[in-house]
Formats: sequence, structure tokens, C-alpha cells
Amino acid sequence: MFSQRTLRRLLAPLAALLLTSAAHADTYEIKLPPELSSSPRLCDYAPCSEVLPGATSFSERKGQPSYVEGYRDDAGQKTKVGYVMLSTDITDIPAYSGKPVVTLIGMDTAGKFTGVKILKHSEPILLLGIPESSLVKFNNQYLGQFVGDNIEIGKSRPEENLIGLDAITGATVTVIAQNQVMMTSGTEVAKQVGILKPVIRPQARFPISDAAPSWANLVADGSVQHLVVKPEDLGLKGDGRPYMDLWFGYLNQPTIGRALLGKDGYASLMARLKEGEHAIFIIRTAGMDSFKGSGFVRGGIYDRVQVRQDKDSFTFRDLDYVNLWGLAAAGAPAYDESAIFIIRGKGFSAAYPWKLVFLGNRIDKETAAKTFANFDREYWLADSYLEGGRPEVIKPDPTWLKVWKDKALQIGAFIVLLLGVAAAYANRDRLVRRSSHKNKWRVNAFKYTGWLLSIGFVGFQAMAQPSITQVLTWFHSLLFQWQWELFLSDPLIFIFWIFIIVTVFVWGRGLFCGWLCPFGSLSELLYKLGRACGLKRFQFHLPQALHDRLKGLKYAIFFGLLAVSFFSMGLAEKLAEIEPFKTTFLVGLLNRSWPYTLFAGGLLGLSIFTERPFCKYLCPLGAALAMPTTFRWFGLKRKDECTKCKACAKGCGSLAIDTKGNIDQRECMLCLDCMVLYYDDHACPPLAQERKRRDKAGQPLTPIDARGYFIPIHPAPARSATEEKHS
Amino acid sequence: MTLADRNELRQPSYGEARGAAWLAAELRDHLWPWGSGAQGGRTSLRLAGFGLAVAATIAWILTALGHLSAGAIIGWWFGWSVLEVFVRLDGKPYVKEGPWWGRLYRRASLMDMLCYVSFKNLLIGASLFLSLKAMGLLQL
Repeated sequence: MFSQRTLRRLLAPLAALLLTSAAHADTYEIKLPPELSSSPRLCDYAPCSEVLPGATSFSERKGQPSYVEGYRDDAGQKTKVGYVMLSTDITDIPAYSGKPVVTLIGMDTAGKFTGVKILKHSEPILLLGIPESSLVKFNNQYLGQFVGDNIEIGKSRPEENLIGLDAITGATVTVIAQNQVMMTSGTEVAKQVGILKPVIRPQARFPISDAAPSWANLVADGSVQHLVVKPEDLGLKGDGRPYMDLWFGYLNQPTIGRALLGKDGYASLMARLKEGEHAIFIIRTAGMDSFKGSGFVRGGIYDRVQVRQDKDSFTFRDLDYVNLWGLAAAGAPAYDESAIFIIRGKGFSAAYPWKLVFLGNRIDKETAAKTFANFDREYWLADSYLEGGRPEVIKPDPTWLKVWKDKALQIGAFIVLLLGVAAAYANRDRLVRRSSHKNKWRVNAFKYTGWLLSIGFVGFQAMAQPSITQVLTWFHSLLFQWQWELFLSDPLIFIFWIFIIVTVFVWGRGLFCGWLCPFGSLSELLYKLGRACGLKRFQFHLPQALHDRLKGLKYAIFFGLLAVSFFSMGLAEKLAEIEPFKTTFLVGLLNRSWPYTLFAGGLLGLSIFTERPFCKYLCPLGAALAMPTTFRWFGLKRKDECTKCKACAKGCGSLAIDTKGNIDQRECMLCLDCMVLYYDDHACPPLAQERKRRDKAGQPLTPIDARGYFIPIHPAPARSATEEKHS
Repeated sequence: MTLADRNELRQPSYGEARGAAWLAAELRDHLWPWGSGAQGGRTSLRLAGFGLAVAATIAWILTALGHLSAGAIIGWWFGWSVLEVFVRLDGKPYVKEGPWWGRLYRRASLMDMLCYVSFKNLLIGASLFLSLKAMGLLQL
């Protein structure tokens, strides 16, 4: 049996052999001890002293979410010097790979970051393209920064109190995610230990009402909310039941409180609450586990649920728990677990939106390692339950939106480029009719402009070169955890892919591959430059028969990568180095080890002598796009005479016209040379023949119709002398 | 015309159906790889293909019930796709030329059929996969 393990065993050394000079990736997909995420003694399994210099001993995990305290030994006296936290204890923000970067973070008692250490990552770009040291360098920018500062990727803006961090070129999504991880982790711990004070919000005031809404009414107006967690969300096997099916709501609001608890129950609860305290209820109507937590002990905290309001979080201890004896609202569902929790934090206000958060652990099926995962549901009292209605709340832009706003100009320019090229191609009939085989500038002006912009602006400046690795990453994300935010974080690539998908189905792969792919454009530009520099006599095309055999290679590479990705995404990403894109645009030819530079340089060098060798024979992305090109809607035109005439085929740089005169749309780069010939009455043999015949016969040259022929001349019947006279 | 050689043009197995009947025929044409009548293909290939299609369906059901891993179903799907290429080349050796709403078909080369079957089955597989995952019947 050819098992997965056998395949891995065979492929792994092969990849290692191929990639001996790969950057040393110390923490890529490394197997971490399971105790790292479960043991109370975090620092027995993690190098805590490396991120908190000066600390010689560490406490056990404490707090919710958890952290450890680090101490210095001062002549037998322990002095607290700071805190160490494991990012996956606090947040589940995934990076580009869809998996989190497991980071150990140190912070001193003043809230300044003292150390950052990557323990594990799954970022393919850091495996081969960009040295892992870049991420270390990126993380070092946090050292000495205060956790409460406004730190973001990009330029510093002192007028907005914004501290900017230099991104890693070509790994923007990874560092955006890493910044969120750093700031979320640091903030959570800083708030728990009192470094960051909670925001004090104005308290809600409630209107008096005699209404007695039913359960259905309360659900409809949002006073009771529903939070469902599926077992699959936690990596568990499902049996049709939800893992957690919770209903919750705010009880201090008199109309809601009385409807849910009854008048007496509400009065009794309110009598227990001191000023500034709030009560919420939670019931579990179905589920596989307890929301209170099985490991709860007296004096401890409930570690499965918490309330978050903006950046403040509120956890519950045993003294914050009150029994819920029953629900009075008509139509309330049956439940098997219930609680009333009291929020005692001063910063909480029911006038503003808040979230109930269920804190879970996602289990990795392969490694059995647990990673933190949270699920939340927003709650905000309706206008009618608040005196004066809901206050105005300005929600901060999500990170991806900030990126889009920061790059608005670049995005705008890119969209103009894409639309411009698409519009030019859509008008190809006009352009090729105005061109001739000797003068194609009307077509080439657009195409060459597209090339230059795609090489300079898209490739080198914006680094938006599409790659097969993105296809594989999407595939993986689709299987495991799809997050739009992740892909929206790289706007140019996101827009490019939408454009590619649409145009492949409308016109085929040629518009992207032939007009806009940065590497393809560079490759063909070198060929054209070689010709212009007098190297034409050295330029060659492979014989058609050999070309027909070799063109299948790229499909084999694509299917090979796809197959390997099912077994090992990391290995597939390594093998995807067959694309020289990272070397050429992301990292730079001179910044990589010599095998990569030699490979990319060799392909570009070969491109001077033969047209697009990589695109024709090796490009897995081209192969992936060629397949749906089989079903493109609009192809190039052919005439009946094309079956015998080889004029177009002879000039086809893509070698895409077969012996029967048909165009292989999968191989066609839409250069439009054959379409120029199609309407050129001096170059297209059937047209030229007809032109000569008419010239000889003294007949006029009528316009050429859409089928590529002169409009036929139909002699009108001669009018009689009588008709002539009458007219 | 996007084809130079008109000898490449083919008539689909469902002939000249129109309207809803055409849509239904198109759907059947994509989902049912075996030809009929003169285009029926060899009986042995037909039987082998039918057997494998049943096995692939069972594999999907087993996966949905949690008895097969995702890797196994991908393997089955791949195996079935390979056979479907040969079944179609034998019984329905054509692919559409031009827009999906058009009625122009051409003779399918091996590469045409590989592209058609793999892309079609990728879409069907993805739809099934996402539906099963959304219903909580498939886990990875």
C-alpha cells in the first residue's frame, strides 16, 4: 500500500536534495511539546528568560487568558521584573498560512516589550523566499515599545500618535497578523495586571415601560442573543449536535429583566447588585460540554466564558455566579445548564455594544496540540431599551480596511491599469483593423505599456506577482479555515485574482499571461529587446513536435504540486520554488542563494533567445489557468482558409496554432499577431489574393467584414431606359 | 468562427433540444458521462465506469458518515475522474466551444477532455465538500 507516510518519505529527501541551499528554517512547522500549551509550568517548556532578560525564575500560568510572572533574584528576595505570555494562550489570529505564528512574548512591569521569540510558524514565504531572520528583525522592532501605544505596520504618523513598523517586503499579510498577535497579547495581559486601565464609559439609563415581551420578542429585538459553536470548529468529530448552544442576555434593563426573571426574580437580583454592577444570564439549550468548565474549582475563575467590551474583558469568579432558577418569558426554551454572572468591572456599560465570548481549544488532528480559539456574539440593547437611544459608537476600521485605505492610491492605479488593459483588449477588433503586419503599434502600444507597468509597478514596486502558492494556500484555507480578512489584507493580489478569474473565463489565460503577468512580461520583453539588439539570428523556436510534447510538462508540474499539497503543504510550497517569481520580484536576484539566482537568471537569459520558455513549458500557474481556458467564452477568429494557410502559424510566437489551423487557446498568449493578419489585405493570403483579383478586374476594395473577407460586390441589375427617363 | 477546421465541429448527444429541455439535457450531459445509441461507447468500458461510479458514490457516503478520511475521498474522486476522461472520450467525445450558453461543440482532444473533466469534477467535488462541511457531515 502506497501510504501517505511512504509518499512523504520518498518526497521529503527529494525536496531536501533539490533545496539543499534553502534558507535554514528553524521553526517552520516544528513539533512543539504538547505541555507548552497545557502545563502550568509554561517556562519549563519555553525559553522565557530569553524574552524577559534578567528574570531567573517564573511563576506558574495565571490569569485568564494566562501569562506567567518573571522574577529576578535579589539576594534571596524575588523581585518581579515582568511577564511572559504565549500568544496562542491569548489569541487565535491566523497568519497567511491559516495557522497562527506561535510567539513567546516578554513584557516588563512598565508594559514595554522586552523580547519576542517565534516558537513555531507555518508561513511558506518564510520557508524559502524570505529568510526567517526577517521575521526576527521585524519582531525586534517591538523591543522597548509600550503596549498601550498605537503601533501599526507602515509609516509613523506622529501627528496621530501612531508608531509605524517596517513591514517585511513580500510578507505583508504575515506581519499584519503578527502585529495583531503582539498587540492583542500584550494588551490582554497589561489590562489584567493593571498596566492598562479600563476605559470608563457613561452608564446606561433605562426608560420605564410596562411591556412584557415574550422570548420570541426578545430574540427578535436582539435582547436575547444566540451563540453556537460547532464541534468541527474545535477540530472535534460531529454527531449532529452543536458543541455549545448558548442563549444569553442583559438583565439590568427592567423590561428585559422582568420579562426573563419575573417581577420578583428581577427585584431580588437587583437587590443583590451594588452600584455599577451588571448581570447577564446564559443558558445552554444543547451541547457536548459545559460552558462553566469542568475544571472549575472554588475560588477559581470560569475559564470558558467572558464578556468583552471594546478592548476590555471581564471574567467571572465563583463569587460572580448566581443561580438562575427559571425563565419567566413566554416561549423560553428548555435548557440543561444555566447561570447568572455578575460583571463587576467599572468600565462596563450596557449602553455600548459588548460580546459574550466562548473560549475554546482547537485540537490539531495531526499533532493533537491544542490552540486557543474563541467564538463570540455581539450584544447591544435596542434603542427602545435605552433612554435617549443608542449612543454613537465609532468602530475602528478592521485591519484589512486600514491597509486598503493606506494603499488607496496604489490600488486605484492598479485598477486603472487592469481596466485599461481589459478595455484595450475588448476593443481588439478596432485595434487590429487599424494595424498591419508591418505596423502593429496600435496593439503593441497598449501591450507594451501593460508589460512595462506590470514589470515595474506590479512586479518590483507593489510585488503583486500572482503565484501558484496562492492557489495552494487558498485551497488549504478552504479546507481548514477560510478567512476573508486574511486575503483582503493583500489588496493588490486580491484584486488581481478577481481580474484573473473573470478574464480567464471571458477571454482565456492569455490576457493575464500575455499582457499582465510581471514575469511573463519581463520574459517576452527580453526576447523583444534581444531582437532589437541584433540577436535575432540567435533566436529560435523549438520544433512544433517537440513543443507539443514539452508543453504538457507544466500540467504535470501543476498536478504534481496539487497532489503533494494534499499530503504536505510545506513540501508543496517548497517545490513551488519552480516559479522564479520570489527570486525575481519579492527577494531580488542578488539577495538569494546562488541556485535560485542561477535558476531565475538562467530562465531570463534563455528568454532572450527563445520566447517565454518558462511560460510555455514550466509555469504551474499558467497550467492552472490554461485548464479553465478550455471553456473561455470568446476566442480569436479563424477563416476556412486557415486550415491550409500557415501564415499565422509561422508567425505565432506561442506556437499555439496547430497543423489544422486551429488555435490552442490554452497556449495562446493573445498577442493578437494572427488577428492583425486576419484583417490585413497585404498579409493574409486569401485577402491579398482577393485584393489583387479586384485590382486587376478594376473592382473597388470594399470594407472587410467581421468574418475577415471583403464585403462581396453584388452587381445591381441595369435599369432600363424608361426607368432612367422617369428618374 | 473560432475554429478553422469545420470538421472539428460536433453535435452533442442530446441533439437540438431547446429551452428548459436543453438546460436539463446540458445538466445530464455534464453529470452522466456515458453516451447513448451510436455514441454509446464500448460495453466493457461502460460497465467498468458504471462500477467505479457506484464505488465513488459509496466512498462519498462513507466519508459523509465519517468512515473515510478526506484523503481517501480525494483519491476516489481522482480515480473516478481519470476513468471519466476515457469514458467520455469513448462515448461523448466533444467539448463546448465558446460560451456555456452557446450550442457549438468541437471534437475533444485528450487534453480538452482532461481539462473538462478535471475542472468539472473539481467544481462538483468542491460543491459537495463545502455542502457536507456546512452540514457538519465532513470534518478535516
